[in-house]
Amino acid sequence: MRALTAAAIGLAAALALIFTVTAIGAPEGRTSPEPLLTTVPAHP
Amino acid sequence: MRRTPPGTGAHASKPRRGMRRTASLVLLGLAAFFTALSPLMRWYAFPRLAKIPPSQYQAMVLEARPATLLDYGTMKARQVPEVTIVQTLKGNVAEAHRVERASGRDVVVWDALSFVAGPDGKMVSEIPERYVFDAHSQEPVHAAGEMVDGDPVRRSGIEYKWPFLTEKRDYAYFDAQTRTSAPIHYKGTRTFHGLEVYYFEQTIPWTKVPLPKKMPVKGITPEAVQKMGTTRWYSTTRMFWVDPVTGAPVNGEELHKEELRGGQLLPGGGKVTAFAGHVKMRADYVDSTLALVKSQRTLVLLLTSYLPWGFLALGALLLAASLHLEARGRHSHSEDPAQPAVEGVVSGGP
Repeated sequence: MRALTAAAIGLAAALALIFTVTAIGAPEGRTSPEPLLTTVPAHP
Repeated sequence: MRRTPPGTGAHASKPRRGMRRTASLVLLGLAAFFTALSPLMRWYAFPRLAKIPPSQYQAMVLEARPATLLDYGTMKARQVPEVTIVQTLKGNVAEAHRVERASGRDVVVWDALSFVAGPDGKMVSEIPERYVFDAHSQEPVHAAGEMVDGDPVRRSGIEYKWPFLTEKRDYAYFDAQTRTSAPIHYKGTRTFHGLEVYYFEQTIPWTKVPLPKKMPVKGITPEAVQKMGTTRWYSTTRMFWVDPVTGAPVNGEELHKEELRGGQLLPGGGKVTAFAGHVKMRADYVDSTLALVKSQRTLVLLLTSYLPWGFLALGALLLAASLHLEARGRHSHSEDPAQPAVEGVVSGGP
């Protein structure tokens, strides 16, 4: 019974972690202020 | 067999056994945690976390050296040392949010511009685009504002980028000049700068296409050219070397041909090359694209391979450790002098 409880806690923790991480997601950022280019960028 | 001295071992082994039991249960819990995390990471988290950021900004420079360009003064084609195509993709975050609210999907809106410059840097053509697509699957999303050079379009297939975990198969690829999609064929696996990539090729046969809204000569409008009965035709073979993990092209080339045909500008059914050249990515942009793709590739591999397999192995190890501790606990339990079954043996010892 204790073993089952330990395994269930582990599983629940994994689910909680995954759901939290996917819910937070990646930061979206803002539209870049850089323009659409109409000149040829120079060679570096 | 080693025996515990009477009067001390029985009391000392009890807390040790309890600790082993607890440790075994903790390890079992951790084993369940990491083993469950493995498929969850690959099949639940990855499809939700892997997406194109809506704010991405990327510029690309391609060159045709040499190239053929139309001289509008003489209406004759001439060879020039180079023609440069500057392609910019700019993620429009506000528009992406607007489309997301309507569609209920994670969406990316790319405002793109293909600016073609002659050897003097002056504009040869300038085609703006708005491309709206699903941030995870790369499927096109249809929304107001989707266009090529001001003409509303309804895309199918992909454009600019392949989906994450690209497959070895043909895809439908949108051609901005013809405003239609056609298959881009998987032609095999290649090695490009040490990276294993999938090579794709698409050929668009000679097709009548709209004149660009912005013409390279002042005073000439597409409407005026159309009135004269002259039409624009285009054919291309485009090639992409695609990193299959991220779906990002690391190299691209195009055998591009454009012609003006007939009408008063070219009487007698004549035709003239407007632009022709073998367009290739500029070396510095190949390098920067490779560096970007390699860093993103590691992130995708972390979610699809490194972490899931690592967690699975760790889970198995922890389970083995837990079982080992449990077995040791039971073994010492069977030797425990405090237990009635073995007590006689211990008390009857030397």
